[in-house]
Amino acid sequence: MAEETVDVLIIGSGHSGGMAAKILTEKGISCLMLNAGPVADVHKDTEVKPAYTLPFRGFKQPGQLPHVFQSNEFNANTWVDEKEVPYTYEPQNPYNWVRVRLFGGRSLFWSRASFRLSDYEFKGKSHDGYGDDWPISLADLDPYYSRVEAIFRVQGQKTGLPQFPDGNYVLDTSPWSVSMQRLASAAKPRNIHLCKQRTSLGINGLASSVNLLLPDAFATGKLRAIPNVIVRELSVDKNTGLVNEAHFVDRLSRREMSVKARIVILAAGTLESTRLLLNSNLANSSGVLGHYLADQIYGAGIVCSVPDARDGKSTPELMGGSGILPRFRNIDTKAKNFLRGYSINVWGGTGPMDPRNFATYGVDLEKKLASYHGSGISTGIMGEVLSRYENHVRIDKDVVDAWDIPVLHIETKYTDNEFNMARDSVDTALELADAAGFEVLSKNYNPNPPGYSIHELGTCRMGDDPKTSVLNKWNQSHDIKNLFVVDASSFVSAGWQNPTMTISALAMRASEHLAEEMRRGNV
Amino acid sequence: MQRRDFFKGIMAASVAASAAPSNLLAQQVATPAAPPPATPAPGPVPWMRGLMEVKPLPISQLSADAVAQTNANFFTGIQLATLRRLSEILAPSSNGYPGAIEAGAPEFLDFLIGVSPSDRQQMYQSGLDRLEAEAKQHFSVSFAAVTADQADQLIRPWLRTWMNDHPPTDPYELFINLAHSDIRTATVNSQAWSDAAHRAGAQTPNTDLYWYPVDPDLHHEGSTQTHSVATYPRPS
Repeated sequence: MAEETVDVLIIGSGHSGGMAAKILTEKGISCLMLNAGPVADVHKDTEVKPAYTLPFRGFKQPGQLPHVFQSNEFNANTWVDEKEVPYTYEPQNPYNWVRVRLFGGRSLFWSRASFRLSDYEFKGKSHDGYGDDWPISLADLDPYYSRVEAIFRVQGQKTGLPQFPDGNYVLDTSPWSVSMQRLASAAKPRNIHLCKQRTSLGINGLASSVNLLLPDAFATGKLRAIPNVIVRELSVDKNTGLVNEAHFVDRLSRREMSVKARIVILAAGTLESTRLLLNSNLANSSGVLGHYLADQIYGAGIVCSVPDARDGKSTPELMGGSGILPRFRNIDTKAKNFLRGYSINVWGGTGPMDPRNFATYGVDLEKKLASYHGSGISTGIMGEVLSRYENHVRIDKDVVDAWDIPVLHIETKYTDNEFNMARDSVDTALELADAAGFEVLSKNYNPNPPGYSIHELGTCRMGDDPKTSVLNKWNQSHDIKNLFVVDASSFVSAGWQNPTMTISALAMRASEHLAEEMRRGNV
Repeated sequence: MQRRDFFKGIMAASVAASAAPSNLLAQQVATPAAPPPATPAPGPVPWMRGLMEVKPLPISQLSADAVAQTNANFFTGIQLATLRRLSEILAPSSNGYPGAIEAGAPEFLDFLIGVSPSDRQQMYQSGLDRLEAEAKQHFSVSFAAVTADQADQLIRPWLRTWMNDHPPTDPYELFINLAHSDIRTATVNSQAWSDAAHRAGAQTPNTDLYWYPVDPDLHHEGSTQTHSVATYPRPS
């Protein structure tokens, strides 16, 4: 029977766990990684198929994955089955918890959007008085962002906008299309800037822990990993108060096992890390564990057509490319009915348009689709959801998952701040479309349900005061010095930005701090 | 487990089994406590012999729709007749591509809605019933018998543009617009549509990377809804 005590136990294998493994093993520290799901092999697990050969003809299997709007019949088997790992909420406040447990986690499937937070986010309270500042600033994270951007090969352009901090980019030299230039001209007088997207190129387009981070960690010979094991609970040494053991269950056989560790790093994804701490009844002297759940508003936007791209006249020079209008509200002026800000993604293309943009049918619809082919431009909001104490998760004492692990009850909802922000973003997009000469076909003011962005943030927030935060500024538990949480649960505020660069930079910074503390014998 | 790995595993077990008797004898002499070998398959020939050498069959994809009819048995006769006429109106054949009827869309939707959550079923059933009632009220015929102009009068006022994940909220608007979308999807995702694309020299449409279940949990039981005590030793 194994009696080994591992040096560092990392729970989770996505960008945050992968980064922790890379940094620590490259410094010679032995790590054991546990992951709740199997290792996917695209060569073995996938096949290119036409929709008509699938059991439901390309429709999603009815009743399957009702909260994963991103799922379809092709990819349904990549998501966590909601029946296998349920969660609960009050019917009037639904939450879309979108999860992947394959090795590599959600780093396998993400949009590659690669932004830094600015000090309008890190120091939001200092700017507008709401919420709390982070215990760190952009200057603290800047060198780590730069190194992460190099690893991920982030393509972008520098803009000099303080709310859209520049990074270490593979320079994007592509020209703007004519339609994007029209949008930029419409935006500029309104002090709104159309910028190039910032996107991780990764390797062969994949920017996952399984190809950018974990190979380096395995190459050191210091990383071992066990797939298909689900951590049920952590326990602490009664004498020292330090975490010393993880209890897990084999996903397939349901055999219960335990492993001893000197240091534990949680990187299971925001809500799973918090669920594990809540189920372990640990690290919550502050009482804020599980609280301040935030994310970003998605779903509100418009669909337009560029008139001179219709009837076969669409070209990449006229219609191609995408861009972003980074946050422009509440920078130098004050919006009338909401705090913080949002960005608008803009994307065009030369492909077919969605028939939903035309209120007609039959032959007339086919004519419309043919005429409008290649003329579409769409916008979508990415808006900051305010961090609020009352938006929280707790353990549901009445429901367990397929491995008898108590599940989360999620209690969160959007308020007027989010709805007003969404409305402002659509009205702004309509104004810009009109000024640019685009025909608006469809619009939607309603955000998707909370959680949809797959950017769940907070619930283990960091701070200098142990009475109001779970982690210190090094992602280290205030209560338990050998416990670190390196995923996005540490976020103090959400920002509008896709969080992957910030998660990865924080995980890198926390792991280097941990390595130094280990060298000094402090943990 | 993938089929190939399953075979590999079985092959390994078979090889071990065929070699077992002499090994077992030797082990019995040397180490009486050794575990027994895997139980061999019954009969003199290893069951899986030769399978590793089989080449994949040259099977081309054929959906049952190419040769068989779907037995529609969820909607009532009148509802299905209404759905068929609605499908014919909303997605007629054109330019060498099949319409919803040729693609078997109404019958496929009878199956799909029949296995859908009850709110979806009710939306379809009440929507089809209302179309039938309105046809009778305005034109004194079943919806199945309305002319194209009459159908247009009943349908067009309810058509809306809408963005992904945000269909109309009024139940009847929702029905008309989602049914339209479903009928189109069932049509363009059919093998008949794919065949038409091939005849027109186009690639197979609506093709994507399909993920098989990855290392599926064969014990999957879902939530048991009750707590049980974890079986690892807890600190007292």
